[in-house]
Amino acid sequence: MSIDNLQENEIDVQNIDLQAKQITSLLDAHAKRLSMRTLKQLENGRERAVKAHAQQISGVSANRDGTLSSISAWAEHHRVVSTGMLLAAIIAGFVVMQSLNKEPSDAFLLSADLPPEAFVDRGFEPFLNDSQAKL
Amino acid sequence: MASSLELSDFLRDVERRAFKQTVYAVRDDHAALDIVQDAMLKLAEKYADKPVNEYPMLFQRILQNTMRDYWRRQKVRNLWTTLLSSFGAGQDGEDDHDPLDSIDVEDEGTNPAIQLERSQTMRIIEKALEKLPARQREAFVLRYWEDMDVAETAAMMGCSQGSVKTHCSRAVHSLAAVLEKQGLGSRAIAQLGAET
Repeated sequence: MSIDNLQENEIDVQNIDLQAKQITSLLDAHAKRLSMRTLKQLENGRERAVKAHAQQISGVSANRDGTLSSISAWAEHHRVVSTGMLLAAIIAGFVVMQSLNKEPSDAFLLSADLPPEAFVDRGFEPFLNDSQAKL
Repeated sequence: MASSLELSDFLRDVERRAFKQTVYAVRDDHAALDIVQDAMLKLAEKYADKPVNEYPMLFQRILQNTMRDYWRRQKVRNLWTTLLSSFGAGQDGEDDHDPLDSIDVEDEGTNPAIQLERSQTMRIIEKALEKLPARQREAFVLRYWEDMDVAETAAMMGCSQGSVKTHCSRAVHSLAAVLEKQGLGSRAIAQLGAET
């Protein structure tokens, strides 16, 4: 390719860039004049995205302007919160069941040979443990 | 990692352009809004750990992919619509006109003649952009409107740098030809651009 051709090519590229820039500057100016409704919807979308971003990075919610608010927004993690609550309820239930099983029931106290006071007396504990072990 | 404030600023900066670009691609304002909102959410959810300087490329990629998904869905929907329309009369639900749609936010302080000329020019440019082949429009938008360099545009479009140059050149020539045909040479465009 000759030098003249190269120069022509260069000028052509520059012209294309210039024309493109002129067109995009008009497009830019036009893009600034959107309807109120469109802008509102874009703003809503942005807010949702910012909120999701805040939750992703720290589990903290964000205000409308994009600043972070408080940890209380964790409640918006519906799935995490509900799973956590379910697990907590299961664990609590298990603990309660265990503790109930340890407590001697009323029927057991009434049918036992020993008086009920014996089960309260700490001095009887070794004896009771031994007798339960033998059974 | 970008903060939520940085993300908010970034989205505020690109959302209008993104919306217009999507409108030119899908030719439907409602669909364009859905696509842009979807892209915003995907960026926030999937790339929350990325630094803010990576957001322009990531957002454009997500936006272009979301547009492609829309086109795929449209293709399937159109197929079914065509099949079903043969069974009954088509009911074209007319869109409710909302007065908010016609209110422009930034009213120009220039004289009405210039406003009219500019809006007519914009209509011509928009129509010409919509008529461009998808790849040419994509290359033009990324390279010139989003101000990406040739290598970035090529990476985004998944093609060679030579292809990007060809697409851009053809797109600009097509647009210039349409404008020239309407009596809007580059001098007139430059003048309008300077007045904005």
